[in-house]
Amino acid sequence: MDEIDRSIINEIQTDFPITQRPYFELGKRLNLPEDIVIKRVKRLKGEGIIRRIGGNFHSNRLNFTSTLCAAKVPKKDIGHFVETVNSYPGVTHNYLRDHEYNIWFTFIAQDMAFIEDALKDISGKTGIKEILNLPALKTFKIKVDFEV
Amino acid sequence: MAFSDSLLYAKVNDIDMITEIDKKVISLIQKDLPVDRRPFALIADKIGITEEKFIERVNNLKKQGIIRRFGATLRHQEAGFSSNAMIAWLVPEERIDEAGRILSGFREVTHCYHRKPNGNWRYNLYSMIHGKNREQCYDIAARMAQSSGIDKYELLFSEKEFRKTSMEYF
Repeated sequence: MDEIDRSIINEIQTDFPITQRPYFELGKRLNLPEDIVIKRVKRLKGEGIIRRIGGNFHSNRLNFTSTLCAAKVPKKDIGHFVETVNSYPGVTHNYLRDHEYNIWFTFIAQDMAFIEDALKDISGKTGIKEILNLPALKTFKIKVDFEV
Repeated sequence: MAFSDSLLYAKVNDIDMITEIDKKVISLIQKDLPVDRRPFALIADKIGITEEKFIERVNNLKKQGIIRRFGATLRHQEAGFSSNAMIAWLVPEERIDEAGRILSGFREVTHCYHRKPNGNWRYNLYSMIHGKNREQCYDIAARMAQSSGIDKYELLFSEKEFRKTSMEYF
């Protein structure tokens, strides 16, 4: 990554132009030709630095609900547990963490009843009885764009 | 306080204002936009509407606050932020708003939520931080603790990512 890559990344995380020719617009802001911006963005995606370009939504405003869940899973059962949890498309993030509650995942669905039923099913299929459901009461901050 | 109000979980039935066309538009922009001179023209074509109409709908969804952010999402590890930790804080309920605002003020914090405790698990405020390594994360946490006056907290470092994706709503 050079300085030009950094300037492109910093610009397109928050302020991707929603216009006919967004890369022309970005180029204007960064003083670069449109073709160069496109070439570099393609490369940054190829290298895996940019995962995706698109919309990120307030799930509650689309009448979806979301929560964070945690479970204590013995090491030997982690593979099966994660596979079972990840079979739900609403599970968007799932991490192994350095803690006695070692598996943490987020779950988005149409309503909390769906999530509660899913957690019961997951317990039934995996034998992991205790899964904490920690719904958000208030969001203070979501800011996932990074200065690089 | 205005900044947190806009992020409050809305109780209104916004979905009533979302048309079938909006749902189709969302079904495309929740995925990865093709890198092309005219990316919106390419995807508008898939749902049989014009590029102008498509762009107008996306701008509208943004104005309505349904789109929180439109742009590139990075893989943090590849971008040089290799350590991520969730910090669970135990905060007296009457201090939640104050603590949430203080912690959110840290540049290193990407997410901060007040969450309902569950059973014996009493932690009620959660923040995600990203750092270059574990030492830096411990240092950030210590500064957050000092600023907020909340000294009961645990860092949970991520050791493996099993899934990281974007929700497909429609």
